[in-house]
Amino acid sequence: MGQSLTLYLISGVLALIPAIIWLSIIFKNTQKRGMLVILFAASTFSVVPILLLQYLLNLFPQFDIIQFLQAKIQDQNINYLLLFISVGIVEEIIKQVIIRLIDHRYLLIKTINDSITLSLVSALGFSFAENIFYIYSIYTQLGIEQLFVAYLFRSIFTTCAHLIFSGYFGYYYGIAKFALNIVEQEKMIGAKKRFTGWIARTFDLSTFEAYKQLTILKGATIAIIMHAVFDFILQLNQILPVIIFVIVGFLILLSLLQKKSGQLILISDINNGQTSTMAKKDEDVVLELLGMWFKEKKYVDVIHICQRLLERDPGNRVVQIFKAKSIDKLKKNDAYSLILKNLFPTKNNNKSLAAIIKEQNSIENKLPKPTSQPLTNSNQFTQQQEKQNSQADQSYYKLKL
Amino acid sequence: MTQANIIVEDIPATVQGISAKLIRIQGQLDESNVDEKAKIIYQVIEQNPKNLYLLFDFEQLEYMNSKSIGYLTDWYGKIAEGQGKIVIAKPKSNILDILQVVGLTQLINCYQTLDEAKFSLLQDVVEKNNTLAPNVTSSVQQA
Repeated sequence: MGQSLTLYLISGVLALIPAIIWLSIIFKNTQKRGMLVILFAASTFSVVPILLLQYLLNLFPQFDIIQFLQAKIQDQNINYLLLFISVGIVEEIIKQVIIRLIDHRYLLIKTINDSITLSLVSALGFSFAENIFYIYSIYTQLGIEQLFVAYLFRSIFTTCAHLIFSGYFGYYYGIAKFALNIVEQEKMIGAKKRFTGWIARTFDLSTFEAYKQLTILKGATIAIIMHAVFDFILQLNQILPVIIFVIVGFLILLSLLQKKSGQLILISDINNGQTSTMAKKDEDVVLELLGMWFKEKKYVDVIHICQRLLERDPGNRVVQIFKAKSIDKLKKNDAYSLILKNLFPTKNNNKSLAAIIKEQNSIENKLPKPTSQPLTNSNQFTQQQEKQNSQADQSYYKLKL
Repeated sequence: MTQANIIVEDIPATVQGISAKLIRIQGQLDESNVDEKAKIIYQVIEQNPKNLYLLFDFEQLEYMNSKSIGYLTDWYGKIAEGQGKIVIAKPKSNILDILQVVGLTQLINCYQTLDEAKFSLLQDVVEKNNTLAPNVTSSVQQA
């Protein structure tokens, strides 16, 4: 008993090393470190329900559905897949439940990236606890010779894999949390949501609620499938595909974290409500135009209009989403167009409104001023507007750089 | 279908190679009529691909939807490409607000009165005319 405890303690120390390294990486980009440490500690207990479930299934094997199915199915690979899918379902749901509980109590998630970060920490806590048991069992069953390689592999790739699965779940959980704003924005671009509509009608939900639940389900499904595939490849002893799988998953997750739309603070603070200086009906016209031009991929124009509209209505989340998504698209398109331009040089005549304004301004600066003054609400407003526009130009180009 | 009218009139300043038109838009441009009404303007642009000067009188225009703003942007692009110009007279404050946020007021000058808008447009016509044919300047100024 005493030796067992010592071995568990040593396993705990060994498992803590990669956890600290991963935590320090996550901490680099966040402020709420204290709360993340608490979340990490709480997540280590997420293995308890799994151990409890295993204990109960050993006690009452007649309720073990997986074992029942495996007895019926002859194909070993399908049996493994079934097992890993069930493991994935249980582990991913438990990891996410911890975040939900903490977020409901402390309202930690204010951006989509917050949701991803919390998911990563929760996964790390779970992985740390799981590693303790793995290190212990590898040492006692296979000896110290096998422990080193297994320890290194689990510390780097398995832990990273857990982070990735939960990171995806966290991303979709974040989108679901801010579904109201996102559904509104997607409505403006005329995105068809037939399946969401069908689910809403079938289960008597609002479109927003149906979208929210479907998004969470989507995140869970992606995380569970990735988890099952990872375990399955691992079972086949295919190390290289596992490494490629983890690296690709990590890079995609990293790109999600870098998206501007993920960094938007979407939580509504009723104490900080700012009213719009534009009439609702007029603002709706501009929002519809944003939707139209976003769909037509006129991202530069959308960014400029959003910038001007945000000066009039700073608290409008839909406009903020339009702007962030356009910046994301622009960055992506810039990367693609750079590659394509090099491969197939073409002449592009489709100028954006922003480019025409810029061109026009540079021409007008060289021309004498007109005698008749153009109308705006007031001349002062014109100057202010021009100042704002030039600021918008500068901020956009800063973002682009 | 919502009521909207577009009336196209010649501005009697037209000289050889330059066309100036007054376009009065009345009512509400919305989803139900904008595509049909936009054709009238496209027809004018097609008939005068070069040096077209348009004065939009928005005095009786109550509402413009997003599509009509999109069309206005497109007309501007086409007319500017043909070395022409657009000005707007007497837009209602709600429409002016939208045009400002979209950024169109940086491209299209808006004026409080029809005369001011006409004067500005004709001044440009005169300048253009001087560059095309210096001897007909006086007839333009008289108009």
